[in-house]
Amino acid sequence: MRFFSQSYLYDDSWSIVTLAFFLRYPNPYAAHVLSCDVISRDCTPSGTLVTKRLILKQGNLPRWFPKGIVSRAESWVIEESEVDPYGQVVRCTTRNLDHVKVMQVEESVKFAQTTDGKTLQHTEGRVFSRFGWGLTKKIENHGLNKFKANLQRSREGVSVVLSLLRQSRLQPMTLGAGVETPHELSPSVIEGPLSASGSDQHDAQASTSWQRLKSWFQPPSSSASS
Amino acid sequence: MSQSLSPECTPLKKVYDSCFNSWFEGYLEPAIAASTKPEQRTEYAKRKAEEFQANCGKVWEQYKACVQGAVKEKGLDQLLEQAREENPLMEPTPPSK
Repeated sequence: MRFFSQSYLYDDSWSIVTLAFFLRYPNPYAAHVLSCDVISRDCTPSGTLVTKRLILKQGNLPRWFPKGIVSRAESWVIEESEVDPYGQVVRCTTRNLDHVKVMQVEESVKFAQTTDGKTLQHTEGRVFSRFGWGLTKKIENHGLNKFKANLQRSREGVSVVLSLLRQSRLQPMTLGAGVETPHELSPSVIEGPLSASGSDQHDAQASTSWQRLKSWFQPPSSSASS
Repeated sequence: MSQSLSPECTPLKKVYDSCFNSWFEGYLEPAIAASTKPEQRTEYAKRKAEEFQANCGKVWEQYKACVQGAVKEKGLDQLLEQAREENPLMEPTPPSK
């Protein structure tokens, strides 16, 4: 088993970092995320929110990996999180559901508000393989290196969403229908046209950052049909 | 917002996600002080949960049903069940049926 941990400090408050973390798919750094679904979500009696998401990720097998064992380099991942807005803490655990004998990767992330209003992210990763054939150690080392690289990318993804949220909070509320194109997000990740001439009425009275940001994630053309 | 694992659920997912996100942004900044008594906090949390139910409850049920169907169809329920058995402590209390 290989273990890795890292801490990172965001200058932003816990609530906006948490929102960005939950909104992080899609982003330019997460093109490998093929689908993401909420499969259960409950408000607990103590006021926390417990969520389980099922995510399909596209992976890449290293060149040295024996052919014909893993038929497709996709992996189902389960993400379990608990949000406590009173204690200002999020805990989130992610692990792959298939190919577990080849390699099991488990990630635990915690976001907590610091006393000076910033947000501390602490991440732990565990990689273990039960593959054998003299490859166990090589697989675990490879998995750990990928984990470190992905952690960096995933943080960049959260930062992109974070800056979008920050910008949308600075924008006047009357903007509603259209959101200016921020430079950070490459247009290729957006699912449709950004110009929002025929926006639904909901956007016109946008009052939250999410409402103002919505056309980014969901162009009006796709929401109109529902 | 990303796609659903089943294309037929994606429209419902988008409506649900959008509804949830609006609610979630407010949920993350509770309008009560951290020092509030536990009873008041419980009361506030209950109101928040009811607010979600009123705004998004219907589309959540539709989306959930769609995804659960797709999960079964793809045989993913067994994968999830297996994962649950391996990690029983991480399982949140199941909702009462």
